[in-house]
Amino acid sequence: MIELRNVTKLYGKVIGVNDFTLTLEPGAYGLLGPNGSGKSTLLNLITGQLRPTLGTVLVLGEPPRNNPELFRRLGYCPGSEGLYAGVSGFDWVRYLQQLQGMTSHEAGEAAEKALGLVGMTQAMHRPISSYSRGMRQRTKLAQAIAHDPDFLILDEPFNGLDPVGRHELTTVLRHWIRQGKSLLFASHLLHEIESLTQSFLLICGGRLLASGTAQDVHDMMVGLPNEVALRTSDPHALAALLLREHVADSVQIKDGFLTVATPQPGRLFEQLPGWLKASGLEVSEMHSADDSLQELFNSLMKLHRGEL
Amino acid sequence: MIGNVAAVFLFEWKRALTLPRMAWWAVLALFPVFIVGVIRFTMPDEARRAMNPIPAEQIWNFWAAMFYALIPMLVSMLGTLLWATPAISAELERRSWVYLTVRPNGGTAVLLGKYLAAVTWVIPPALIGLTIGVPLADTGDGWRMWWAMVRLVCLSCPAYGAIYLMLGTLLPRRALVLAVAYTLIFELVIRFIPAVINKLTVQFRLQALLVEWCNLSLAGPGGRPSGVQALIGDEPAWQHVSILLLLPPVLLLIAVAILRWSEFSASAESDV
Repeated sequence: MIELRNVTKLYGKVIGVNDFTLTLEPGAYGLLGPNGSGKSTLLNLITGQLRPTLGTVLVLGEPPRNNPELFRRLGYCPGSEGLYAGVSGFDWVRYLQQLQGMTSHEAGEAAEKALGLVGMTQAMHRPISSYSRGMRQRTKLAQAIAHDPDFLILDEPFNGLDPVGRHELTTVLRHWIRQGKSLLFASHLLHEIESLTQSFLLICGGRLLASGTAQDVHDMMVGLPNEVALRTSDPHALAALLLREHVADSVQIKDGFLTVATPQPGRLFEQLPGWLKASGLEVSEMHSADDSLQELFNSLMKLHRGEL
Repeated sequence: MIGNVAAVFLFEWKRALTLPRMAWWAVLALFPVFIVGVIRFTMPDEARRAMNPIPAEQIWNFWAAMFYALIPMLVSMLGTLLWATPAISAELERRSWVYLTVRPNGGTAVLLGKYLAAVTWVIPPALIGLTIGVPLADTGDGWRMWWAMVRLVCLSCPAYGAIYLMLGTLLPRRALVLAVAYTLIFELVIRFIPAVINKLTVQFRLQALLVEWCNLSLAGPGGRPSGVQALIGDEPAWQHVSILLLLPPVLLLIAVAILRWSEFSASAESDV
């Protein structure tokens, strides 16, 4: 579906995407990364808005830049607003479908259907200036799906949606995925991606940090230090004990908590009670990294920043 | 592709039917009429003209120059500058450009559709201004004056529209500055330099056609050639018309090429 070979995009001296190599088969993927990580640049490269400084981009087997045939099969919902205030949602979506090559009548029918799918039937003939942010998001999604593309690309589609709107949009997108169509969905919030797919790409600093399912990333993390936080009566003494026992790579004391990065979490959990009993130290709270994607994400980010 | 261009054209026209834009349209149509009316009613009345007669040729030349300055120059240039120049920059500022360019040939369709919308938006007020203004002016041969100016409007609007659209595509973030600078430097200053470079301006062609179609006399005192003759050149009218007709398609092709080559993504300057 997408193939990027050593893709680099430079804005003058600033790197947007750095030596990105990736092959994605048809399916649903979440593109996860903090703000400024290069998600939008990557989407702009995939949709042909930008030309890579180095490397090759192929989407559905074709280069995306100035490629009318590809644009017939692609639906894109950008992160920016960019709607015409004085025009109705229906007129705007119909106009964009006419640009897809539909006749006015076909475009009107497609617009009506898509706006209905995202719950905008009641408001579709009102000017966009009267829409709430959530309604504008839904209208944006409608323009992307109205021509029934094979591959849908969404950039932060949940922005500005209330919980009900998020639920409705999630339902629409789950239905989309169930139909066997492909989706690439960018967000800086992991739970948004988790609600739709377990396959994700983690991007930071213009580089691909990890890709695959949560389990793939778990496997990748084996052997990397785990963080354990302990509330204790004497954090300095406990830190010294753990360093003496060679079970901690690094320690940090803050607000009565001792945070330990350990390459041997199993040994730590097994032997800690004995060490506490022997030293007379007390531990009242203990937190360790859970298995959620959020923790994986946090660990990968720390790894990328050299903190692990 | 033609359907896409037509869709953009109709969408732009529909969007233009708002009160502020209609007000601008009315100002473009009525400003020349207002100026002609003021001149006409401050001229000496017939009894005073009979005592100190002005040659009919001078009156004709004066009105030809006045109508040319007000309509094929002012209305055509100003109208197309305001409408065609921001074709791309307005979409980029609104961040709506990306929605258009992920469509098959979307960018090209938007460019051409907006060009047609701009030209067809400016020609009607120019023609209305002429149709009201010429009878008001009492030029002596109103029909001839009207017909000459109509032809000049129909040549100047597409030519200026294409120039401004191309400039707006070349540098969308400074489109209006570039268009105004071009107009002042090329069309209003270089045009009056009696050298080969002035032949590159649209004004050179239009003014030569004005002289030809209105049969203006450029002879100086004693029948000697005046300085104006040097600014007009001696090319035949068909040559000027051909160049003005060729200019828009050539410039539009250049604009489309620039568009296909350029990267207009908003993320180039903000969020990466």
